Amino acid sequence: MLRTFAHQNSNLYFQRLALPFFCLALLIATGCDNRYYDEHMKMEVQQLDSDLENRWSTSGVVVLNTTPNGPADKGELKRGELISYVITEYPIQSTRDFNSTLKKAIDKDNNLILHVRGKPPLRLALRKSGDKPGLKVEGKGTVRVKEIQPGTPAANTDIQIGDIIEKIVDERKIYSIGDYKDAIGDVKKGQIVLRTSELIGVKIAAVNALGELGDTRAVEPLVDIFKNSTELSLRKEAAKSLERLVELSALNELFQQFQNAELNQLPADSLPQKQLEAAAILGLLTVDITQNHVTLKEPFGTQFRQRADALHQKINQAQLVTLAAQYSQLETEPEQEIRRACLEIIGILKPRSAIEALVHVLKNTEEIPGIRFQAALALSKIGEPAVEQLIDVFQGGDTSTKDMAASALGDIGGEKARALLIRALENADEPAIQLTLVDAIAKIGDAPSLEALQRQRQRFRKDDTGIRIFLEEVFKNATPEMM
Amino acid sequence: MKIDAIPFLNSAARKYRRTPFWLKKLAIALLLFLFACGTQNENLSKGKELIKSDKRRKEERAVREFKLAIRQESNNAEAHYLIGFYNSQEFYEPGTTDWEQASITARGKHMFRAYQANSRKYLEILIFETLRDDALDVQNAALEALTLVYERGDKNRLLSQLQKAIKSKDNRDRHDAYSVMAHIGKENSETFVPILVELLKHRRMETRLNAVKALGEIGSEQAISALADVIESGSAKWKRDREKPEVRQLAVEALGKIGGAAVPELVKIVENKGSSLRVDAIRALSTLRDEKAVVPLLDALQEQSRREVIIPFPN
Repeated sequence: MLRTFAHQNSNLYFQRLALPFFCLALLIATGCDNRYYDEHMKMEVQQLDSDLENRWSTSGVVVLNTTPNGPADKGELKRGELISYVITEYPIQSTRDFNSTLKKAIDKDNNLILHVRGKPPLRLALRKSGDKPGLKVEGKGTVRVKEIQPGTPAANTDIQIGDIIEKIVDERKIYSIGDYKDAIGDVKKGQIVLRTSELIGVKIAAVNALGELGDTRAVEPLVDIFKNSTELSLRKEAAKSLERLVELSALNELFQQFQNAELNQLPADSLPQKQLEAAAILGLLTVDITQNHVTLKEPFGTQFRQRADALHQKINQAQLVTLAAQYSQLETEPEQEIRRACLEIIGILKPRSAIEALVHVLKNTEEIPGIRFQAALALSKIGEPAVEQLIDVFQGGDTSTKDMAASALGDIGGEKARALLIRALENADEPAIQLTLVDAIAKIGDAPSLEALQRQRQRFRKDDTGIRIFLEEVFKNATPEMM
Repeated sequence: MKIDAIPFLNSAARKYRRTPFWLKKLAIALLLFLFACGTQNENLSKGKELIKSDKRRKEERAVREFKLAIRQESNNAEAHYLIGFYNSQEFYEPGTTDWEQASITARGKHMFRAYQANSRKYLEILIFETLRDDALDVQNAALEALTLVYERGDKNRLLSQLQKAIKSKDNRDRHDAYSVMAHIGKENSETFVPILVELLKHRRMETRLNAVKALGEIGSEQAISALADVIESGSAKWKRDREKPEVRQLAVEALGKIGGAAVPELVKIVENKGSSLRVDAIRALSTLRDEKAVVPLLDALQEQSRREVIIPFPN
């Protein structure tokens, strides 16, 4: 008897000593680098950067690793996820359940959700701790609302006397490892729901950067985001990045010259001028006109000249044209920035296969004028092959459509386009259309066009309209041999 | 030696003692005035009058006077300084000698001549006044002059003045010191980087901020580990060990400016999912356009989206 007592006593003594010691060890083990191994969940978490809360309004802990076959692993929690909320559900079967759960939930963060039968979940938030929620309940098995005190948070919700409370959900926001331990520690059985947050800003920045880097490996992931992401801001950025990649791939010829010469500096006059200009605008190289030098910027220059060809091939394989043609339509894509990016992509790649889609945008009177104009611009870049279709659009369209089509035809030029524009001008009697046509013909600017304009000059000689002034301007700038 | 020993001086001293006080004062003032008139170069004062006036093209005319002033007196500190301050290429036809002499380098040299003639005074002026001027060309001329001071003058005194300025309570002093350190430090990183790294521990946040900025401008790889420490302090256990967010953000930018060997550090930030600086690091990598960034960026795209995870527990 005495012996057992002594034994018990020493055991107790050991326990008393062990507990603080254990706590201290835990503090040293976890505190130094702000990590904590959760025995319950079988995973290690880390405190977030203190500034995440302020800058990205994100708080919580980040998962460092999960032990195989532990609860966290089974729940498919992944390394790097940010746990921002721990959500626990408490079924309510008695007045005592209700009162204790309510107290516990409110003590921690003044916030809980009531699930009432037949109603959407009710959020109950107290202004400050110590406030009463203002609800009294009764019953066993089914717990009903007995009393709602006026002027309390409960009185502001949709809850009524006699409502059946089924469960209380406590969503606890996690700010630190301490909060996390607290929230998890309260749950001993059943299940825990963790809500993770995503720093969408990180993905947006990554998508943007991948566009700048011009790497082949980025094409497919970006297309995937473009097609499938539910996050609009991310899709927009993916569209812009794809546009940038297409832009870079269009500089292939330029970079190939550097690659073939195995040099980062070449004489400016030996290079394709349009690509050179585009690359200079993108800041990929520096042009020294006086020295006739073009120098690639490092480290991008050397790296990119080696992989430009791969990107070029990838872009052309990736069926970007089909994708862009599809998403350039108002019917498919509600976001105008994405439609614009698609038209931009088509404008750079100039594929004949996109003519149909572009014509559709151009004719679509529901579409924003700016975007329709962009479609016309893309058609003019495709050039000759688009003339027939543009003529059709011109003949069938209303004033604004005619305007855009005529402008594109003027950019393309050529006999067919010219003939149509001149004929149209001679028959046109609406000043707006006349002006458009005169402008388009002036853009072609060859001898037959100027001849036609000369005739118009006679026709409008006495008018005091914009057309006469415009025509005067055209002939003022024309050189004698053009006449 | 006793004055009584010399009879002449003795009588002179007696006479002096007898003269009334006001007369003495007047005589001294007169002497000083004459002395000042004698040393104050006539052209110099004319030029200074012009600057104060509201005459047309006063600066251009004043500079002409200052130039005449140094022709008379080649070591006149003030005239040299004022040429450096007011001369401008805008006054002259491009390509002429005058135009060439008004270049920033030439103006910097004049300011340096002023420093050579009176180093204590003009070092103070250059650091604490000239750099504050609104005109960019004046600031640049001062930077040129201070570079010359570093190369040919009292280097240590310059360094201690710069450190005094970067620790100052006044924001403008700190900013000026930063710009000088960044400018001279580009060519002399082995001297400036250790000084700036030391300043990262200074108690004034704005001083640390300017030090970080200067390290970025200098762009030396020597600074990488110190900047990495600043960045990593964000998840330190104790609040007092954590650097302020603004400074850490600038440290990431500085790594981006250093580039090259700093890329792995930036990648490390991108990979640290608990860091608040991931976006900044990604932006820096995007400007650097180094292909080492591709894989970490693709990984970032694979991260889980916001969701709810259900963790079951065995009862």
